[in-house]
Amino acid sequence: MSKQKRTWDVILAVVMVLLCLLWIYPIVLILLNSLKTEGSFTTSTVFRLPTAETFAGLRNYVYGVTKMDFLSSMGYSLLITVTSVVLILLCCSMTGWYLTRVNNKLSKFMNLLIVFSMVVPFQMVMFTLSKTADRLKLNNPWNICIIYLGFGAGLAVFMFTGFMKSVPMEIEEAAMIDGCNPIQIFFKVVFPILKPTMISTAILETMWVWNDYLLPTLVLDIKKYRTIPMAIQYFRGGYGRVELAPMMACIIIAIIPIIILYMTCQKYIIEGVVAGAVKG
Amino acid sequence: MKKMITRRNFLKAAGVSAAALGLAACGGSSSSTASSAASSTAASSTAAKADGKVYYLNFKPEQDQDWQDLAAEYTKETGVPVTVVTAASGQYETTLMSEMEKSEAPTLFQVNGPVGLANWKDYCYDLSGSQLYGELTSDSFALKDGDAVTSIAYVIETYGIIYNKELLTAAGYKQEDIKGFADLKKVADDIQARKAELGVDGAFTSAGMDGSSDWRFKTHLANLPIYYEYKADGIGSTDAIKGTYLDNYKQIWDLYITDSTCDPKLLASKTGNDAVAEFVGKKAVFYQNGTWAYNDVKDLGDDNLGMLPIYIGVDGEENQGLCTGSENFWCVNNTSSEADIQATLDFLYWCVTSEAGTSAMADKMGFVIPFKKAKDSTNPLITIANQYVADGKTSVDWCFSTMPSEEWKNGVGSALTAYAAGTGKWDDVVTAFVDGWAKEYKLANG
Amino acid sequence: MQKAISKYWPIFVLPTLVAFIIGFIWPFIWGVYLSFQRFTTVSKTTFVGIQNYLSVFQDSTFLHAFGFTAVFTVVSTVLINVCAFAIALVLTRGIKGTNIFRTVFFMPNLIGGILLGYIWQILLNGVLANLQKPLLALDAKAGFVGLVILMCWQQIGYMMIIYVAGLQSVPGDLIEAAKIDGANDREILFKIKIPMVMPSVTICTFLTLTNSFKLFDQNVALTAGEPANASEMLALNIYNTFYGRSGAQWKGIGQAKAVVFFLIVVVISLIQLHFTRSKEVQQ
Repeated sequence: MSKQKRTWDVILAVVMVLLCLLWIYPIVLILLNSLKTEGSFTTSTVFRLPTAETFAGLRNYVYGVTKMDFLSSMGYSLLITVTSVVLILLCCSMTGWYLTRVNNKLSKFMNLLIVFSMVVPFQMVMFTLSKTADRLKLNNPWNICIIYLGFGAGLAVFMFTGFMKSVPMEIEEAAMIDGCNPIQIFFKVVFPILKPTMISTAILETMWVWNDYLLPTLVLDIKKYRTIPMAIQYFRGGYGRVELAPMMACIIIAIIPIIILYMTCQKYIIEGVVAGAVKG
Repeated sequence: MKKMITRRNFLKAAGVSAAALGLAACGGSSSSTASSAASSTAASSTAAKADGKVYYLNFKPEQDQDWQDLAAEYTKETGVPVTVVTAASGQYETTLMSEMEKSEAPTLFQVNGPVGLANWKDYCYDLSGSQLYGELTSDSFALKDGDAVTSIAYVIETYGIIYNKELLTAAGYKQEDIKGFADLKKVADDIQARKAELGVDGAFTSAGMDGSSDWRFKTHLANLPIYYEYKADGIGSTDAIKGTYLDNYKQIWDLYITDSTCDPKLLASKTGNDAVAEFVGKKAVFYQNGTWAYNDVKDLGDDNLGMLPIYIGVDGEENQGLCTGSENFWCVNNTSSEADIQATLDFLYWCVTSEAGTSAMADKMGFVIPFKKAKDSTNPLITIANQYVADGKTSVDWCFSTMPSEEWKNGVGSALTAYAAGTGKWDDVVTAFVDGWAKEYKLANG
Repeated sequence: MQKAISKYWPIFVLPTLVAFIIGFIWPFIWGVYLSFQRFTTVSKTTFVGIQNYLSVFQDSTFLHAFGFTAVFTVVSTVLINVCAFAIALVLTRGIKGTNIFRTVFFMPNLIGGILLGYIWQILLNGVLANLQKPLLALDAKAGFVGLVILMCWQQIGYMMIIYVAGLQSVPGDLIEAAKIDGANDREILFKIKIPMVMPSVTICTFLTLTNSFKLFDQNVALTAGEPANASEMLALNIYNTFYGRSGAQWKGIGQAKAVVFFLIVVVISLIQLHFTRSKEVQQ
């Protein structure tokens, strides 16, 4: 039995290794081609390794970054993601706590709305939301976080209320007897307890905002601001020409920070996903 | 609605005075005198002008940088802010649509011809009194809605069959040997038969029937049978195409796919990038494309490039020239503020008359522009195109701007692909062409 | 205590509520209103009753997109969950390198849909060109298969993580007890493990279901609906109706399509709720 299990383990491990290679391959392929000179490969020759003749070094990277002003796109993506996620965490944790501790009409109304908003697909509000954002001047990377708070509040509040329900009220009541007002209670007592949920929520919202394409495309003032997913589109030139090599270079540049982030906080990310799924 | 009419009337009045100034300015004074004259006549319009700004939603990604530079230069010269945004390829319509919804909508946009204009004519400022219109060399470059000039072509382009002179000479032929479809077929068949000896993969490049270059066939090549039908019937557009010259369309398409670098069945697995690579890599002699493609093929050397008319076997085609026309028309947004409209008109006028503007458009963008002060373009393909006109050949008009819709083109494109792959019959192309036209025309106009 | 906190609603609830109104409630109500209107600009609308909704169901592109989306959703949901569960089973056996495998499988989730779409477009077109088959944009079947492969590649890792968590929570002594009673591996899998992870199965099924149904970015980047809208999914169809078609009628129809789309998603979610509830009762 045990020997049989060991043989199986070996076979399965080999299968897993092969699968992993398959999983990494697309990214490796892009990386390799981003090092070739533009025009040195056709649709069918992307699988060849770069040779001395076709090797372009970092030329595509330099070209892609300068031509598309890719660094500022990364800056805007970062700015939007950080402000939105911080705002979502702060506002939604406060709201989530309030909704679990207070049982009045406002709470009932909000709870209903939150569940409802989680169901609504973006296409439903796509047109009217971009109109609203334009009128209220929420069309720049500093203000767009309000839109993200509005549209992302559902999941976040849901996560926080889900967690708060399991937290006993005794400590908070003790703090109140000690003379703390609700704001002090929240930041001194509740906030530290919320840390694991904060991380989970932060991860889910970051993955959403960082990669979001349609919302910023419709809402942001495209005269001035482009996020990463928007900028990548512009490598498709006129008359069907695509600047493939620089485009691949920029795809790689866009992926690297995510991979680094993932490697450093992998544990939290995976826990966050599990927590989010179980509650969602 | 009422508000709009009054605004229009006001602008018409303003336009008339602008035209008068334009005439006065013709005496040799530059645009700056014209604008200073304007400021002295109407103080209010100067004030408006000072805070007007231009937002140009550009269609041509390959000229994006050139437009940015030109806009920056204009801003430096006049202080008027000009923003140029280029839509990502294939997304012009969607970008225009969403930008027009915004409070800071483009003041300047473009349509691709009468069919595109139909969608946007309610947003087009009447350019009939503008200085820009006064600079136009021929009225045929303007699109009209009744008496109103809704849009003005800003670049004239030409396409045909670009060929590699060195390879054609090596095969023992020269341009003069090809005077019609029969000659073209004879030469192409011969090159195809001797392809190993000549070191090529085929006479024509592969096609690229995905979005990257299917327009070369479903739009540009399909233009020829439409052109000849219009010519025979003496019309300029139609609600139902008869398909009189579809047999000729079949002939040329058959030639393209048989004498090609790859088996017809494999055409569907090639992209536009592949076709360019074959031509530049000297693996094919003929490549159907236009003057805009110069940057893609310039590696072959200017002296090595030639252009042939696309012969499809119609009587009298020995006098046929290249296909020349425009699908890039400027429109000024009539919902913009008056100051912005004026600023936009001034900017356009500067682009087509000033030294900086005309040289940028001729040299950097490689455009032939239909305006009086235009400079000669340095694009060698354009020189070739001009030679055909000088030799008295009749240019083929761009009738594809009257094609009823994008769906129609896609239908023809899919049928062509299926026919080449052997999974569809030529009859399907005919159906897509003739029946599809009537159906799409009704949908678009009914 | 409750009373004391409830007075503080302007601090705790108001900011979220205001953003909620701007970013969700107002656009939603306005959207429903506009679905009964004919308009080119929102300042000038004409009431047309349910005309837009009638047009939605006469629009062949919408019906085609609906069919395409439905088939895609079913196929990808089944494939993703079966594969993810199988991998999760392997990764809970305690073989060496489990952590590395898990890391690698999950990675694609962090890359945005647009980037994924372009990566796979290059890869799949390369494969198709070498097989001498039509490119993605020319063959709706290839486009469909491409989308399924892309979704599997992206989502399997995510679902696998959830299944692993579910499997790890199966009490070890339960399995030991079954082994002592002489149960073989297959019996343990079907009689113990699978019933015990049913909550995870429900979660993952509905996650993939809604993700696939609402797919947009990947669709835009990989096939853009080519050829001739044949690989266009619902979300893209709605987008194209709004921004790709000119004519006074299309915006109203687009908004009506969005409402229909929303209602379908609501139905899916209600079914999910029903399933989750009934499962909870069972346990």
